[in-house]
Amino acid sequence: MIYLEEALRVLAANKIRTFLTTIGLIIGVFAVISIEVLGHSMAGSISETLGALADDSFVIYPGQYQSDFDRAAIRMSDLTNIVATVPNVATAVPLGAMRMLIRYGHDEGRFVVASDSNPPFADLPLTYGSYFSDEDIASGADVAVISWRAYQRLFPEGGDPTGESIYAGAHRYVVVGVLAQPRRGVLNVNFGGDISIPYTTYVREYVHGDRVFAARFTVKDASIIPQTEVAVIDRIRQLRQVSNNVEYQTFDKAAFTGGINQLFTGITIVVGLIGAVSLIVAGIGVMNIMLVSIAERTREIGTRKAIGAQRGQILAQFFIEAFLLSGIGCFTGMALGLAAGGAINSLFIVKLTGYTAPIPIVQALLITAAFALVNTLVFGTYPALRAASLDPIEALRYE
Amino acid sequence: MSDAAVAIDLAAIAKTYKMGSLEVEALRGIDLRVGRGEYVAIMGPSGSGKSTLMNIIGCLDRPTRGTYHLDGTNVSHLDDNALAAIRLRKLGFVFQGFNLLARTDALKNVALPLFYAGVAARERNRRALAVLQEVGLADRAHHKPSELSGGQQQRVAIARALINDPSVLLADEPTGNLDTKTSTELMALFDQLHSGGRTIIMVTHDENIARNARRVVRLLDGLVISDDRSEYEQAGGSKVL
Repeated sequence: MIYLEEALRVLAANKIRTFLTTIGLIIGVFAVISIEVLGHSMAGSISETLGALADDSFVIYPGQYQSDFDRAAIRMSDLTNIVATVPNVATAVPLGAMRMLIRYGHDEGRFVVASDSNPPFADLPLTYGSYFSDEDIASGADVAVISWRAYQRLFPEGGDPTGESIYAGAHRYVVVGVLAQPRRGVLNVNFGGDISIPYTTYVREYVHGDRVFAARFTVKDASIIPQTEVAVIDRIRQLRQVSNNVEYQTFDKAAFTGGINQLFTGITIVVGLIGAVSLIVAGIGVMNIMLVSIAERTREIGTRKAIGAQRGQILAQFFIEAFLLSGIGCFTGMALGLAAGGAINSLFIVKLTGYTAPIPIVQALLITAAFALVNTLVFGTYPALRAASLDPIEALRYE
Repeated sequence: MSDAAVAIDLAAIAKTYKMGSLEVEALRGIDLRVGRGEYVAIMGPSGSGKSTLMNIIGCLDRPTRGTYHLDGTNVSHLDDNALAAIRLRKLGFVFQGFNLLARTDALKNVALPLFYAGVAARERNRRALAVLQEVGLADRAHHKPSELSGGQQQRVAIARALINDPSVLLADEPTGNLDTKTSTELMALFDQLHSGGRTIIMVTHDENIARNARRVVRLLDGLVISDDRSEYEQAGGSKVL
């Protein structure tokens, strides 16, 4: 391809100029690609952590800054009523948690004892044993699934603790399972407590009176969770005979991940704008240098036309030169961006979260190719057209 | 002269330039026929219209009035791309300033018109080498213009003009940038090409150079004032420099 060969020769002959022109593109693409790599791995590590949350359930609790918190509190009796009256609600269980001193032999520690149901709110893998069964729930059995943290504190010698008894005050629980060690780091979200017991047991032992702290609902159709949440809250207000000013909070996976996704969308938009601005600035640089290059080579263009080059052939030549210039800048920026993003990723994010996201090579290539192409088309067209439409007589006379 | 033997046929060619509100008549009715194999020098002082005439003959420009037949085809009113195609296939240009691509070696410079004609790379190189041989520069094929003398550069330019086997070779002051000795050598090359049957039209203001041509057309104020086929031969000796 003679056009490519000639373009390479021209760019190589003006190395400093080529380098300076491509700096803008290098910086722009570098910024976009490195943020792309980082955003990718951060989003990946967060959704990995949240992946354990159940898709088909949500939690409702009264807003904590109510003037009349007592009146707003959800009652045990409300839960059965809601399951019976609100469409799409399959089950409703009370949620509660309290910090207690837990003992095993001579080892002890303060841990949060929390109610849970089957299936659990967060489906985390177990190292030992199993989760409590439906029978355990039905009978309000004195069984517990303990977190890795509690296991380490209470069973420092290690080994399988299932069947062992731990004490919360005077109350004895039999350990049936141990949750696997969670991923290390800042993004380790601890759902529920360290000591999970069946909600029936929790209600019997720790809920005094009818009031529950919060309630978890499972649904038949997970796609209409937001509408179901509204219906449940309306029902609770009716049952509690409170006005719409009384607030109830909801927590579900979609809302949580939605918030995080919104954050990343925001970051992506900002980075995209930075990229667009740097693309425009760099593109103007490319256009400028193409115009200079064409002015310098006016006689050359005149000669080419005199010996019979068609308009389209001159156009192609300068298009390819502009594309090469853009391509060199964009792909250098991409290489640097991938290197920098990958380095920051493995130095910090992987260390903090334990999650290794794949480097998005394909996205990076697509973004970079799009940058180079758009840049060439928008900023290379005018100079190339100008070169192609030069009058050969005047071009030959040009000194 | 039969029609088939005519390479260039200009009839009542006029060219008017608009310079603001002023109209400048560069050519005011030129009639000129050049047969195949002729070697013609066009002479005239600056402003006589010889450059304009050369541009029209070279299909770089269109006449305002009159008709121009090149190899029997009327090319007076063709569009830019059609003119470019005519230049590519039928004309070869030699410029005063050589106009070679600086960073490209002699072989590729010579082969350039074939690239525009869509000839494959291997064939381009084969033909370019053959033409370089013809102008005596086969051993310089891979030298860049900066590594060649002025005379050698002009030979490369002539090779480039000949690569498409043109009907007419157009030379605009081909020795203008060369010293006397090199000019003499170059004129010998033009003679050789002429003997080989090439049609050559050369613009010059140098009487010594024009003396090499077999026919001298003189212009003044956009008109042909003399057209002499044997001016120098009658004067007693051809090719006197």
